[in-house]
Formats: sequence, structure tokens, C-alpha cells
Amino acid sequence: MTAIMDMDVAAITSGFAAGDFSATEIADAAFEAIEAADPQVKAFLEYTPEQAYAKANALDAARAAGGVLPPLAAVPVAFKDNMNMLGTHTTCASHMLENYVSPYQATCVSKMIDAGGIPLGKLNMDEFAFGSSTETSAFGYTYNPWDLERVPGGSSGGSAAAVASGMATLTLGSDTGGSIRQPACFCGVVGMKPSYGMVSRYGVVAFGSSLDQVGPFGRSVADVAAAMNALVGHDTLDCTSQDCKVDFLANLDQGVKGMRIGIVPGMTFADGCTPETLAAMHDAVAKLEGLGAQLVDVELPHMDAAMSAYYILGPCEAFSNLSRFDSVRYGHRTPGCHELGQQYEKSRSEGFGQEAKRRIMLGSYLLSAGVYDKYYYPAQQVRTLITRDYREAFERADVIVMPSSPRTAFKFGEISDPVSMHLSDMFTISVNIAGNGSLSMPVGLGRDSGLPVGFQIIGPQFQDEKILRVAAALESCCDFRGRVAPAFAKGGEA
Amino acid sequence: MALTEDDVRRIATYTRIDLTPEQLSQMTIDLNEIIESLDAIGKYDLEGVEPTFHPIGGLVNVMREDEPHPGFTQKVALSNAGAVQDGAFLIPTILGGGDAS
Repeated sequence: MTAIMDMDVAAITSGFAAGDFSATEIADAAFEAIEAADPQVKAFLEYTPEQAYAKANALDAARAAGGVLPPLAAVPVAFKDNMNMLGTHTTCASHMLENYVSPYQATCVSKMIDAGGIPLGKLNMDEFAFGSSTETSAFGYTYNPWDLERVPGGSSGGSAAAVASGMATLTLGSDTGGSIRQPACFCGVVGMKPSYGMVSRYGVVAFGSSLDQVGPFGRSVADVAAAMNALVGHDTLDCTSQDCKVDFLANLDQGVKGMRIGIVPGMTFADGCTPETLAAMHDAVAKLEGLGAQLVDVELPHMDAAMSAYYILGPCEAFSNLSRFDSVRYGHRTPGCHELGQQYEKSRSEGFGQEAKRRIMLGSYLLSAGVYDKYYYPAQQVRTLITRDYREAFERADVIVMPSSPRTAFKFGEISDPVSMHLSDMFTISVNIAGNGSLSMPVGLGRDSGLPVGFQIIGPQFQDEKILRVAAALESCCDFRGRVAPAFAKGGEA
Repeated sequence: MALTEDDVRRIATYTRIDLTPEQLSQMTIDLNEIIESLDAIGKYDLEGVEPTFHPIGGLVNVMREDEPHPGFTQKVALSNAGAVQDGAFLIPTILGGGDAS
């Protein structure tokens, strides 16, 4: 039998239901895997064994009582550390929130636990999700399970690395400009950014409120679809939350015969895209065609404008959201100040890291009188153009495909200037601007780097089931599938 | 026009961030570099294009009956505060001149 922590969701839930193993044994296996891998990977910022075993005991009791088990019964799960989980620290990987203990719980966390997930802990990230490598975390790096000298991507680097190293079966991340899809790509797992509004953000610390979306990581498309089933649905506590409950597992094996796969011709020659990424992309597209899909050319003429628009809108919204950290109600407070203004300044200067300060100050500048009309307002007009581009493209195509990232995982410190770092999100950002759903899945190992290459599938707004259907079809004919990275695979007997 | 260190100091004051002289000078370099990269936003023909401020149009307020609902207790609401006195958040004086908190 496969080791529990190498199993997919279906194997765990069916094995648990059949009595092959108890939920307590699953929790034991999870914490053993964490003990073995996390000293190297450092994906977690906090472990929650008390909550995990309480949930496992409840699941074992429910099974013994013969009741109906929830859909993710006894699946080991973990959460990005910008998600409030009652009684845990929710630090956003920032000294600002180092001592903050959640007095309430995010809807997405409750939904995963209510669906049967065993909560293992909280995961590292770029500080306040400002970054693409998890290097800006105030609490140290997370290491890529495929190559410990490389970054796991970001900002949800801990969420991707935990799944890729077999320390969790499902994790949640958040995606403002690619923060789920790019780390999923770098770590060789599946990561989904649902359409904006599909998953409640209540209880998730806000970065860019018109861009942020919560989504799952897993090692297979079916695992991610199972998590999506648990996550979506209307929540009165988030006014952007939509009522679009669908069964993402229902049509997963319908195939792609007759579906129209949109390709953006100019994009495959984009600057900075490595030859191995383009080769993997062409290979994946050929597989979809081989499965009976029809390839169609689509245009997204304002893709390059998305970068500028994002790096205007993101900091503006971050500046606004991070003004709440005033050192009074919660968050870091510098003691000994004689005046409130001084306490604000000292506390914020000590609490926020470099990248957070940069984005706050940039956002403040961009929204200032006279500057607003030069950057912020045009960025919102560009958003109209990008949204229109996607809408028109989806009249010709059911989904659009492109690389998730221009390259595979880079080494620590390899990209140090902010502008170059921003380019690693060149394929993901426009999706957040328009609010569509999108997924990154591994399609192979790069012929040059030997590291996982990610393939991105974008769908029309609120038609995320189409994305998963295409992904499942492609996965079924890929030699390479999401898996525990070789150095961390348990294999053998459970 | 590039930002000067004086401009950046004013932004720092407004955003309540205290920068050392070295940090101020690095921040000036960083911000100018980023802002220069954003100038591309000016090259598109945006004449007559309406802005989209949000990916979902037609958001409506969520209303409910005005009935008592459980919320945080005073103890929980104060549990993350750095300084508390007599069941309230404690801050130093607003105008200065008082004791340090």
C-alpha cells in the first residue's frame, strides 16, 4: 500500500471510510512526514497538533457511529498564514503580526475543516503576500522540495512546498497576481485561482481587495476539484462572494473532444520565456489536440498593459488595506512612546519589512493628487480593455492556455531587483485584473533545468469547471503528474 | 519627473513610516525605478474608455434583520492589543506631552 502521505484525496477518504486506517493514524502519518521534511523545507510557521488530533478523534468517532462522512474526511490540510484559524497565530509572515492570535476564523478555513480536513498548521509566505519567491517572509525562507537551493515561488510558497513534499494533501493559498499559480508551477503541483467571487475571503488578511482570491493546492487535478467543491459558495460575510455552487468533480472525466483551446500566438515568443518552458507548452498543446480539442488563435492585445496596471492597482489597494495596522487594536506596538503619532511611526517601521514599506509608500504616492490621474485612473481604464480582451477571446475559445511562469524555479537571491521579480508574474497577472479563474498544473520536467514546468489554463469568469475538465484530460495523458518530490516521497508500506 | 528625497520623506510621514537617512535614500532609488517602469500605462489610447474599478459589477449591500447577533466579547476584542487599561485600548496622548505608554 502507498504511504498515506503520498496518497491522493480519493485514496485517503475511501481508505478511511473502509477502515484501512483511522483518522488518528492519518494525523500521525502527517506529523511524521512533517518531522522528517519540514526541517529542510521549512514550509510551516506553526503546527496545530491539538486541533488536528481533536478533529481526527471526532472523525474516528463519527465513523464508529456509522454516520455519513464528510467529503474530505480525514484529509490532511494546512493554510497560508494570512488566513485566520481560531486560536493560531496569523502572522502574514510579518513582524507586524508576530504575536497576533486569531480570535475568529476565516470562512475558507472553516469550510475545509467542516468538510473533514485535519488541520496541520499554518504556512509560510511572502510578507503580506508581497513577493514571488517567499523570500520576503520575516521568518525565513521556504525551500523548494525539488531543489533545496531554489525558491518555492510565492507568495504562497509554503502552501505549494507543503503539498510537494508530502507534508499535506491539500493546502490553501491566496492569489492576487499569481501567488497560487506561480508557486504551484515552481513546486510541480496543481494550484487553482478560482474566479474572483467564487470563494469567500472573509477572515483572510487583505492585500489587493479587487484582486485577491483564495484557492487550493493539491497533487492532482481531482484533488483540487475536491477542494473546490468544499470551498465555493455564497458567504454573507464577503460582499463579493457569489452564489455559484457547482460540482467540480462531476464532469471531470468528460474529456476535451470538440472543446476550443485558445492560444495567443504572439505570447509563445514572449521575452524572457525559456526554451524549455516553450517546448513543454507546445507539447501540452499537442496532447490536447490529440485528445480531440480544436486549437484556435485568440488575441489578448493588452497583456503587456496588465503588468503596469497591476503594479499600480496592487500597491494602491495594499496602501489602503495596510493602513489598519495602527499598533493600537492589534499588531506590533513599540512601547515607551510619548505621543500617538510617534507610536504609529515607530511601530509601523519596526513591524513592516522592506517590501511592505515599498508598496505602502508607492501606493500612497500613486493615489496622491495629480498623480492619480496619471497612473491609477488609466490603470482602471486598462482594466476595462483587458476584461474586454478576455471576453472577446472567450467568444472564440472555451479556455485559453499559456505558460504559468516564463521559467522554472530560480535560486535564492538570483533575482534581487523588484522590477525583474515582477516579471516572473507576467503570465498570471492579467487574470486577476479581469477576475477570471485559472489553474497551473505540472506538465513535465524542463529539458534543461530538470525542474517542473507549469501549464496555465484560464477560463471564462465563473466557468471554472471548464478549466478543471481540460486540466483533468491533459493530466490523464501526461507522463509527468503532480507528485511528492523524489527526495521526499515515502513510497512502500504505510 | 523623478521623486526627490524630500518627496519620499513626505510620503513616509504621510504613511506613518519612519525611515533612517540610509533607508530614505534607498527607498528613493527603489520608488523611482518602479515608477519609471509604470510609465508604460500612459502609452495606450484610453480616450473614452470607462474605468473598471472592480471585476464584479453590481455589488449590493448585504442586509439582515436588525436582531442581536453574537460578537466578540470585550475580553476577546482586547486580547491582541499591545496596551489595555480598564477594559479599553490604551494609547499615549494624541497631542504629546504625556507619560509614555
